[in-house]
Amino acid sequence: MTDASVEETVKQIVMRIVRKPDLNFSPEATFKDFDADSLDIVQILVAIEDHYDIEIDDDELQEVQNMGGFLAYVENKIAEKG
Amino acid sequence: MSLKGKVALVTGGSRGIGRVIALKIADEGADVIINYFRKKSTAQSTCDEISARGVRAYAIKGNIGEPDKIDAMFDEIESKFGKLDILINNAASGVPRPALELDARSWDWTMDINARAFLLCAQRATRLMPNGGKMVSISSLGSRMVMPVYTSVGVSKAALEALTRYLAIELAPKGICVNGVCAAAVETEALKLYVNDPNLPKPAWQTTPAGRMVQPEDIANVVTFLCQEESVMIRGQIIVIDGGFSLFPTSFVPEGESSES
Repeated sequence: MTDASVEETVKQIVMRIVRKPDLNFSPEATFKDFDADSLDIVQILVAIEDHYDIEIDDDELQEVQNMGGFLAYVENKIAEKG
Repeated sequence: MSLKGKVALVTGGSRGIGRVIALKIADEGADVIINYFRKKSTAQSTCDEISARGVRAYAIKGNIGEPDKIDAMFDEIESKFGKLDILINNAASGVPRPALELDARSWDWTMDINARAFLLCAQRATRLMPNGGKMVSISSLGSRMVMPVYTSVGVSKAALEALTRYLAIELAPKGICVNGVCAAAVETEALKLYVNDPNLPKPAWQTTPAGRMVQPEDIANVVTFLCQEESVMIRGQIIVIDGGFSLFPTSFVPEGESSES
């Protein structure tokens, strides 16, 4: 179950950085669907890290398939922080 | 221990060349603050290595491409240390694309981190150096030689070198020495992003007169010298550390010494 506030925050960050005001932020969507390049992805990760004061591991992220998985990963990191 | 009692900041100091510079400066007795981009565990590991040398170690997270992050970093340094004696502008990034494929965002990202950050860091650092200090910028041969897909970084390094000269003159009356080093390709993790590119020329180790590639320690040794009083009359210079690579025409590699048939 995805936390609505985390989902909305992540969505806002992604929309701001990929410069698309209206994204279909479905669980199945990928960064590729948003036309995000490598620089976009780095900026998205840094923005989320700064917002939640968490650390996203690039190696762990390789396992993440889509936005649903990405949100679950971020929520898990937030929970780990306590 | 020629830097005992000094406080140094190494941007991008948690890994690669920055880490080795941070450790070398710590070897000379200075307390070392490292700025890092994202990975806290890597920064913590480097801090542990610095502390093991009997000096204070401190890590500050932040993308120095963002002016507010630079301000926050220097506020923290001022609060924790009250002064700064040495600034090593090492953090760098880049988007490896040919010039015709570079968009404004990629250009700005690279310039902000590689060149503008030194300006903003130097402005804040100067306020913490009322009795003088040392600043060293870390450049690369891309500032003066053309390498495929290196456009944004090469141009940003050229700007960094020019800025080093301007700062050297403007800060000289304040007793602050500003210099830079310009290194050939150094064996680090970052290089691995480029070495597999088939468009790149022959590997540097085949064409370096000194017979090997530049190592991070080679950079750290020169940077540390530029932080010491013995180098006080060197101002605004960019010291090339390349084992003679940039002076040597690569087409003159003697037959039989190249791995290519």
